Amino acid sequence: MGLFDKLTSWLGLKKKEVNVLCLGLDNSGKTTIINQLKPSNAQAQDIVPTIGFSIEKFKSSGLSFTVFDMSGQGRYRNLWEHYYKDGHAIIYVIDSGDKLRMVVAKDELDTLLNHPDIKHRRIPILFFANKMDLRDALSAVTVSQLLCLENIKDKPWHICASDAVKGEGLQEGVEWLQDQIRAMKT
Amino acid sequence: MIKKFDKKDEESGSGSNPFQHLEKSAVLQEARIFNETPINPRKCLHILTKIIYLLNQGEHFGTTEATEAFFAMTRLFQSNDQTLRRMCYLTIKEMANISEDVIIVTSSLTKDMTGKEDVYRGPAIRALCRITDTTMLQAIERYMKQAIVDKVPSVSSSALVSSLHMVKMSFDVVKRWVNEAQEAASSDNIMVQYHALGLLYHLRKNDRLAVTKMLNKFTKSGLKSPFAYCMMIRIASKLLEETEGGHDSPLFDFIESCLRNKHEMVVYEAASAIVHMPKCTARELAPAVSVLQLFCSSPKAALRYAAVRTLNKVAMKHPSAVTACNLDLENLITDSNRSIATLAITTLLKTGSESSVDRLMKQISSFVSEISDEFKVVVVQAISALCQKYPRKHGVMMNFLSNMLRDDGGFEYKRAIVDCIISIIEDNLETKETGLAHLCEFIEDCEHTVLATKILHLLGKEGPRTPTPSKYIRFIFNRVVLESEAVRAAAISALAKFGAQNDDLLPSVLVLMQRCMMDSDDEVRDRATFYVNVLLQKQKALNAGYILNGLSVSVPGLERSLHQYTLEPSEKGFDMKTVPLATAPITEQKTEITPVATSKLPEKLSPSRQVIYQEQLAAIPEFQGLGPLFKSSEPVQLTEAETEYVVRCIKHTFANHMIFQFDCTNTLNDQLLQRVMVQMEPSEAYEVLHYVPAASLYYSQPGSCYCLVRLPEDDPTAVSCTFSCTMKYLVRDCDPNTGEPDDDGYDDEYVLEDLEVTVADHIQKVLKPNFGAAWEEVGDEFEKEETFALATVRTLEEAVNNIISFLGMQPCERSDKVPESKNSHVLFLAGVFRGGHDVLVRSRLALADGVTMQVTVRSSDENVVDVILASVG
Repeated sequence: MGLFDKLTSWLGLKKKEVNVLCLGLDNSGKTTIINQLKPSNAQAQDIVPTIGFSIEKFKSSGLSFTVFDMSGQGRYRNLWEHYYKDGHAIIYVIDSGDKLRMVVAKDELDTLLNHPDIKHRRIPILFFANKMDLRDALSAVTVSQLLCLENIKDKPWHICASDAVKGEGLQEGVEWLQDQIRAMKT
Repeated sequence: MIKKFDKKDEESGSGSNPFQHLEKSAVLQEARIFNETPINPRKCLHILTKIIYLLNQGEHFGTTEATEAFFAMTRLFQSNDQTLRRMCYLTIKEMANISEDVIIVTSSLTKDMTGKEDVYRGPAIRALCRITDTTMLQAIERYMKQAIVDKVPSVSSSALVSSLHMVKMSFDVVKRWVNEAQEAASSDNIMVQYHALGLLYHLRKNDRLAVTKMLNKFTKSGLKSPFAYCMMIRIASKLLEETEGGHDSPLFDFIESCLRNKHEMVVYEAASAIVHMPKCTARELAPAVSVLQLFCSSPKAALRYAAVRTLNKVAMKHPSAVTACNLDLENLITDSNRSIATLAITTLLKTGSESSVDRLMKQISSFVSEISDEFKVVVVQAISALCQKYPRKHGVMMNFLSNMLRDDGGFEYKRAIVDCIISIIEDNLETKETGLAHLCEFIEDCEHTVLATKILHLLGKEGPRTPTPSKYIRFIFNRVVLESEAVRAAAISALAKFGAQNDDLLPSVLVLMQRCMMDSDDEVRDRATFYVNVLLQKQKALNAGYILNGLSVSVPGLERSLHQYTLEPSEKGFDMKTVPLATAPITEQKTEITPVATSKLPEKLSPSRQVIYQEQLAAIPEFQGLGPLFKSSEPVQLTEAETEYVVRCIKHTFANHMIFQFDCTNTLNDQLLQRVMVQMEPSEAYEVLHYVPAASLYYSQPGSCYCLVRLPEDDPTAVSCTFSCTMKYLVRDCDPNTGEPDDDGYDDEYVLEDLEVTVADHIQKVLKPNFGAAWEEVGDEFEKEETFALATVRTLEEAVNNIISFLGMQPCERSDKVPESKNSHVLFLAGVFRGGHDVLVRSRLALADGVTMQVTVRSSDENVVDVILASVG
């Protein structure tokens, strides 16, 4: 870090940068959530399935986020692990309308939590129970039960219901994440 | 960091390479820096440069390490540094094939390609197309279509060029982008238009009609880009060549109209296209040549060069057309650019009259030492052509060549001169003595082993037949004393030939050779011992068989046979007749056979075509026990070129059998053929023993079926036969797209053209370098002679060619070339008949009203003599 960078960070002018991994099954709304969080002039009009990954950036009040928006399609999920080392935090998105694949989501989550790069780190995980606008959507509590989130003991986690299309619930989640990261760094 | 490198670089001044001693493992270690946040673009840039440098040096990256580095690199997409991003694109392209899971960057690249930064878009498209395969292509198809019609030229060009690369891989998908390409072709940007035209052409090149339509359309509407015009000219001339269209076709008119284009590039392309057309008449050539003439006086060196180079080529075919430019070419002789001057002179040598030769030669010699070897070779070739045209000028040429031979020069240059002198000697008997003298002088101080051995071989061949052979002995023996092993061995062989043919020299040759029996090199010693012993026998037949005419078997074939023999030891001695004979390559006019035993052969001889066939046939159990393969014919087409099924036949001759190999190709994509065989009905007493069908024949995948035939044993003279052939098979219709066949099929047949077996199929060509000796060796035990009148033949040349192709024998002593303005000629032919009997034919031809031919045949077997005479009559 150059002298100028140090100076600005000490003055609090420059925002701290954090890397966040955005994971979850395909069609759960990861890219849509990230798109909503971006400043409105940078938002994309139409969202297409991500192939591989894409890097997006957005800022909250205190932090500057760099998000690795990973593809959720089955054949790309094994590529997630290449980026586990980089993440300071994880956003895990669940389609709360898709009861059928809830087990798959749990399975992927367990694999993630048991990965050597993740297992022993106290890394905050933010869960979005997305698509709560759907009529038959499960509630955040049910989702957390189905995924057995209560078993996660060594990492701070938080679940909030969201509707990425309208942008509801997203800010709440990001604020939680921001607090966690601040607490970790200091 | 880069700056620091630059400075050091400048200080050292020698332009040393900062990347010279890079270690792959160290660089990969450094690449971990990519994982750090925040990213330091300058450092990362430098490391990426190192990686790309290593890749381009041919360093091998294992899949795991490459993948690791690649994924580390993907993190650099976080940075917005332009240079870094573009370096990433380059790295992606370089690593596309060595790393796994490269599709991980697909979304990142599509984002860049559709983004706002124009600098990113073109390179992103190119990188994206490198990592995309057929299955993924559909996912990005929409973006590609948009990019092709993008209004930014660099984006559109990138998309078009990338599509062109994708055509090879997924033709069907790219074909759907024709409309977009069409739109791009009307772009105002010259590059976009050129690339669009290229893509359109490649999408349609298999469909001649569509190409013609496209050309028509664009010739009418006109194009802006000179590059596109050049491309159109090339397409048009290719089309003209394929359709063999006359010069009244609209395509030709188009090319000619381009001669009046305002861009020099287009004008030159058109002129060059016209000039290179086969069967172009002088009248059609005239406008092209006059355009080139204009370019000759252009102030641009590149144009002058192009023009004079093209004229040089035309001068070979149409010297008269170029004569008009002689004045301009004369001016170019003094051009400051030596390449242009050389080409001008060599062109003039081709077009000029006999009287100007002396002057031009003097002019060349004034600067020949200043031009590069490559152009010196061009000069030598021109001289060689000139010698054929004006044989009387050989004095000047020979002098000039010997002077050039004395100058410094590389191997290629010297070889061209030596070849040229040799060809002059062969064409013109008067020059033989002077030529050999020059060559003798040359080998006195020659550093090229290949050339020295070649010349020694020539001396051995030609020297003994000159009036005073003794004067060459000194030159040859000097080699024995002074040179390396290979040259010494060649010199010994040459000496032996003198001893074999000149009785009065024999005692001195023997003395010289006996000295060599103490040589330090095995090969030299062996040769000397062998030749001395052969010569001491004083038998003509031995001399002919072992000294004057070498082995006629193919060397790789001999190697294989001997290897086989050592693997399966048997009581019997090794039989040379089982070794396949050396085939065609020696028939080429210019190549002389260098002595086989130059201690190292220049490159490993690749197994000949025949050896490949032999192995293929030996793999089929039905064809065991036929003995060695004697001869394989050239493929014969049994169908028209564009029919449903294409069948060609190769005739394999064995001692008592023949195998017909039918290579069949199914050109119908909605049919699968099974159990394909060709039924043969012989006209003579040939007996069909066995058919081996091809199991299945898929669309456009060639397959082979075979037929084994026994040759009639009781009548050895029945060598020619006609077979009527019918292809029989089971047809199963199938889906053209998937190739999935129906469950049941039906039998069908297809009539092929008749197949002829002629006497040529029973005879293998063999080159006897010394025909006279071979003739004596075989002896006159079974000699027969007959006289024929060939009424239909008008010239000696025609007669000679007919006989050669009919008998399929090798012309010796260059007797296949008929000297002009003579009305009698002797043709010598040599071959080996099936079963291993040597056959020699001497045919005296006289031209009167038609051609009269006296054929004398000698062989070691009486039947063979009868066969040949019977088939000629």
